[in-house]
Amino acid sequence: MQVNSEPAKREKVSFTGLVLKPMWATLVQVVRNSFRGKPNTVLYPRERLTVPPRYRGKHVLSFTRCIGCGQCVKICPNDCMWMKKINDPDLGKIERPGVDYSRCLFCGLCVEICPTDAILMTGEYELSAYDRKEICFEPEELRADDFPVREPKESTLLPALDFDRCKGKEECAKICPVHCIEIVEIEKTGRKKPEIDLSVCTLCGKCAELCPEKAFEMKEKLIVMFERPLPVFDPAECTGCGACSRACPSDVVYMVEMPGTEKTKPDGRKTKPKKLAVFVLEKCIGCGRCADACKFDCLKMVPESQLRESEKEGVRVE
Amino acid sequence: MDLWGISYELTSFLIDIINFFIYGLGWLLPGVLGDAFNGLGDWLASTGVLNILTMIVEALIVLIVAILNVITLIWIDRKLLARMWDSRGPFYVGPLGYFQNIADGLKLFLKQVITPSKADKLSYHVAPVVFIGSSILILAVIPLSPGFALSYERAPIPGGVLFAFAIFAIAPFSILVAGWAQNNKYTLIGGMRSAAQMMSYEIPLLLSIASVFLLAGSFNFGDVVEAQANIWFAIPLFIGFVVFLVCIVAEIERIPFDLPEAEAELVEGWTTEYSGMRFGFFLMTQYIRGYAGCAIAAALFLGGWHGPSIIPDEIWFLSKAYIVFLIFVWMRASLPRIRTDQILDLGWKRLLPLAMINLIIAVAMKTSGWF
Amino acid sequence: MAEMWINMGPQHPMTHGLWNLRIKVDGEIIVDAVPEIGYLHRGMEKIFEHRTYPQIGPITDRLCYGSSFTWNHLYCLTIENLMKLEIPERAKYIRVMVIEMQRIASHLMWIAAYAADLGLLAGFLWAMREREIFLDLMQALSGSRLTYNYARIGGVAADLPSDFERDALRAVNYFEKKLEEYEALYRDSKIFLMRNQGIGVLSKEDAINRGVTGPTLRASGVKYDIRKDQPYEVYEEIDFEPQSSPDCDCYGRYVVRMNEMRESCKIIRQALSKMPQGPVRVKTPLIGPQGDAIGRVEDPRGEGIMYVIGDGSEKPYRLKVRSPLFVILSAARQMLVGYKIADVVAIMGSIDVCMGETDK
Repeated sequence: MQVNSEPAKREKVSFTGLVLKPMWATLVQVVRNSFRGKPNTVLYPRERLTVPPRYRGKHVLSFTRCIGCGQCVKICPNDCMWMKKINDPDLGKIERPGVDYSRCLFCGLCVEICPTDAILMTGEYELSAYDRKEICFEPEELRADDFPVREPKESTLLPALDFDRCKGKEECAKICPVHCIEIVEIEKTGRKKPEIDLSVCTLCGKCAELCPEKAFEMKEKLIVMFERPLPVFDPAECTGCGACSRACPSDVVYMVEMPGTEKTKPDGRKTKPKKLAVFVLEKCIGCGRCADACKFDCLKMVPESQLRESEKEGVRVE
Repeated sequence: MDLWGISYELTSFLIDIINFFIYGLGWLLPGVLGDAFNGLGDWLASTGVLNILTMIVEALIVLIVAILNVITLIWIDRKLLARMWDSRGPFYVGPLGYFQNIADGLKLFLKQVITPSKADKLSYHVAPVVFIGSSILILAVIPLSPGFALSYERAPIPGGVLFAFAIFAIAPFSILVAGWAQNNKYTLIGGMRSAAQMMSYEIPLLLSIASVFLLAGSFNFGDVVEAQANIWFAIPLFIGFVVFLVCIVAEIERIPFDLPEAEAELVEGWTTEYSGMRFGFFLMTQYIRGYAGCAIAAALFLGGWHGPSIIPDEIWFLSKAYIVFLIFVWMRASLPRIRTDQILDLGWKRLLPLAMINLIIAVAMKTSGWF
Repeated sequence: MAEMWINMGPQHPMTHGLWNLRIKVDGEIIVDAVPEIGYLHRGMEKIFEHRTYPQIGPITDRLCYGSSFTWNHLYCLTIENLMKLEIPERAKYIRVMVIEMQRIASHLMWIAAYAADLGLLAGFLWAMREREIFLDLMQALSGSRLTYNYARIGGVAADLPSDFERDALRAVNYFEKKLEEYEALYRDSKIFLMRNQGIGVLSKEDAINRGVTGPTLRASGVKYDIRKDQPYEVYEEIDFEPQSSPDCDCYGRYVVRMNEMRESCKIIRQALSKMPQGPVRVKTPLIGPQGDAIGRVEDPRGEGIMYVIGDGSEKPYRLKVRSPLFVILSAARQMLVGYKIADVVAIMGSIDVCMGETDK
């Protein structure tokens, strides 16, 4: 068997000459540590290093900013979050997420996708526990309503329509300087709804200023850099049950009465008119809870880039 | 006051206290029993028994002082290594972390002791005993000063240095047996490598101290140190000193000659299957042999206990031994391991000729009348 | 003479990662070698088929935890090729800078582990100390020290924080000076040379025939670097030289990696000075189109490739990962036969084994 351990054609240098050089390097190191500065070791737990502002440690949750949309739960790669139904004395019946740190990767995707900067990550990393139940945190344990947001997402203004206040006066379409508002009639309800083309809108705010009913409000909307889907609504299947409206966390769905659909019961009394769901899609954050809630297959979530311009604003025009 | 004197006083004091009770009992109890106790008291106070007990006490004192030195050496090792590596070493237990080693030793008592089922039981249990026992035996012959030496009625041990090196050389046998007894391929390879390394470095070692014997004219520690009253042997026999240091590092199995028990290559080498305090004893024995090597280096080459008399002789001796150890720590911190065949290469091809040259220089100096 | 099989691993302090190396020894000389992998298989490619495109990002970090940004970036590059997405210029420069910082950190971890194996614990602790500087920079940038999750499909997650340029330049200057000091422990140390020269020779033809890439190939004299031959991101505009060494042994691999660290410092400086202002991210699309795409990068350990097949939904149909070490380990037998047991550590260490990407 060939033994290949000969050094390859190099000059033989004397042994001592090249043993002293590394020893000199270590001696210099001792002098540096002991007489000109400190050694590199941090005496944990007596001293601690400061973590930078962007550190991804334990989460905090702001109950007031969170809208309960559940997108953080959906995007978690490791299924470590869940939504819990809570009965809060101030906020009423709400759903808030809890985190299981035995599975959490601390990747930060939940923070990136939150549309209201409600869930944040702090610099706390000392999370050891003796029992697995102690590292599973309920939403109340993560609650910190006024934790400062260190790096808020970029925000833009949004002309948000409150459809309950709109009386169909059509002033906004006349006032808009770039003609981005189009008044659309919602069939079977007899009402008209202004739809804004957000790609043209300059966010000037005139519609909010000059609406006589104060139906428009220029709200701040945070820009989330993940493309979110929008719901496409088929009004033919809608039964007016209102599940989508109850599920929506950001006031997108309004249940509008359809006059002329009252029925007369055998004993002479009239039922209430049927309702139709109307979508104000500018406010939609793409969480998909309406599509999950609808039992009659009226809603389909489609990515925004795939929707045609005319379909983008919700009610399909026949 | 030398060690024999102190031990004699201590032993007589203890025997006096014990005899107080024995004579008391002898006076209280009547008849034959009383006479028996009185006889016991007389026997305990006789010179023969007193001498033997003095020897035991003396040996205990030497052992305790040596073990304390070894613990201090381990502490220095850890602290200095850490500083060389930009770190701090132990700092928590005791002042500057001095008691960390005791804590680590106690921890080893709590570990589970596992014996491999197919191991050769007799060799497995006896080999560490031989290894540790022989290493502690070396400590007996090393004197820290003319007064602090193990002796019987002030007669020094003849041929001390030769005895020390003879005992030093028992270690390879026990390592080989230990490596074989654990029924493990790794330990077998480690044991064989270690035995080869140690046995091949015995020869330059003995040749370099042969030159010291030549110049000193005797095998006793006391005579060798007295011969250095004018000049330390390290200066004329510089090559011999360097050869001696390198051989001692190889005997102790420190980095850079660490391959037999290298962690990365063979998972602790020939001590893999030993657990608990047995393993702890192996580690401590490495440092005991290190201390013995440094002390012998100080005695043979660095003038032993000669120095200005403001500081007592023992402290001089220990300081010189510690300085030699500091060089060993320095080497450990900065050099990688050498492969076994390169180690053997080094031993036979480079150190042996150097030792021979050293011997020739010593012969030349002796015959020309310098010494 | 009796020949016996020895198992190095799977529980062994030397093998970085969890694998088994069976060697057949004749006395002290190695006669045959069989690497056995698969102890760290986590089923990543199967996991990828059940996660949406943004969710896969943090998981690719864990492919090779020693150089995690490389895999993160490779994944985003592949998906951007699939979705035909154009990312902003500033994002490309930031990516290049972070890739090179990751390369330095990975090579430093290599030299630390290598030195520790050889018994040179000074090298271990000093290299880890320098690595801390770069890990601190990455921590300020992304929020985590080891698994960054910083690259996104469409750019990078966030812009550079304030003071980052000043800190990065300071770190690079300090590091270049320190590298010169380290050479005292390695290049100027006779024992290190004795352990490395002439060990683990892999000739040029063997390396090319077995598909070896990366520093192992460049140490056998082949100047092949994907950053120069098939440039991606903005490597065409950056001036650097791929390093190679004519001696095909462990020492050559050491020289190549040390020089690569110096080149990386140059690249970081250039990237910082040439970076334009602008956005750092475009919106990540939700759906991946039908079709397939490939991404190829120069990982610190070799050539990493990812191949994705999209099927028009938000999850990929198949995402295949080609790791460089999977191929290099198959050349292990060639490098080991004829040497001694004590050389196994040096040879396997010089390849820079990271089992996370080999076993996926």
